[in-house]
Amino acid sequence: MENSTYAPSRGFTILLVETNIIEQEKFSQIAISEEWNLVYCKSGIEAIQWLQNNSTADLLVIQEDSLPLNGFQTADYIKSELGLALPVLISVDNQLTEVRPRVHSYVEGFVKKPFHKQSLIEDINAVFSKSIEIAPAQNNRYSLNYLNEIFDGNESIIMESLGLFQTSVDSELKSLNNVLTHRDFTKIREIAHGIKPSFAMLESETGETICHLINNEAKDEEMAYLIGELQQEFNIITEQLSRDFPELNSEV
Amino acid sequence: MKKILVIEDNPMVIKSLEFKLTKDGNDVHIAHDGREAMKFLKEGEFDLILTDLMLPFVTGNELISYIKKVYPQTPIIVLSTSTQETIIMDAFNMGVDDFITKPFSPNELSLRVKRLLAKS
Repeated sequence: MENSTYAPSRGFTILLVETNIIEQEKFSQIAISEEWNLVYCKSGIEAIQWLQNNSTADLLVIQEDSLPLNGFQTADYIKSELGLALPVLISVDNQLTEVRPRVHSYVEGFVKKPFHKQSLIEDINAVFSKSIEIAPAQNNRYSLNYLNEIFDGNESIIMESLGLFQTSVDSELKSLNNVLTHRDFTKIREIAHGIKPSFAMLESETGETICHLINNEAKDEEMAYLIGELQQEFNIITEQLSRDFPELNSEV
Repeated sequence: MKKILVIEDNPMVIKSLEFKLTKDGNDVHIAHDGREAMKFLKEGEFDLILTDLMLPFVTGNELISYIKKVYPQTPIIVLSTSTQETIIMDAFNMGVDDFITKPFSPNELSLRVKRLLAKS
């Protein structure tokens, strides 16, 4: 691992993952003037290794399109796998969309490139003025971690997928209740099998487990109860989604 | 550019497969049920087919038999939420080449697809 410390030893320790040499140099100059310790890592994986081998840093600034793990995946790994309450700022080249901070609720903020001293300091101060969550959305019955991983953090497609979850699962639950009245248990099992991945993709363990039980284990007389439980779980998730992403309500 | 047919009825899974496979540089075609898949297959050959086993109208097993009869060289990956050994073994006995459990890991999907496309 080739980490290099540029700045004086007092002040914050900031891990920087940035492949653009000009931006690296700008950040380095700001770090020197502000007396931050700057540790440069070539990738998110190198930052993770540094954190595993050293005492914790105060902040990670990582480019959104870092490879092989992007900035969001790196943040997710540090918080959920290493269990570190390390604040993470994602550096972006493009315009920030209004929805982005909510889709990526497990990072503490964004910083725009090219780096400018004043705005960078403001962004970093803003990070330290709020509490840092180890794992995001602790009270939520859903998580966007998997969608972020599979869609490379593309928030418009993540939002589309959330809309698909709401409409398609709602429709399938209506079908479930309909076939329940006809006591068509084979069809009930098929529908549960079909919607199980939708709950799994939102990391709803409860929803996934109920679908599994309906499809594989439940007796016919247990179906009505389990379908009710699945409906309740879906209602909770959609309520939380509507709270977190009110724009979904207008899209559905 | 490799031509891939995805046969799947869950819209969220379709979205994720379409995004990932297209990003990997493939030409992706989507069939939402067995009947639609048969139409695609009658129009021409694919380099790879990913299919669910539980499909509306034509079952996954019927579809696999048809593909193996008409396009015996086309590799098939089965997509399933099931981890039941008998279902997996049945699929392999019918001649499928690989098996991925939904929801899939994006890296695993890429690797398995690339591996089969390299062979085809």
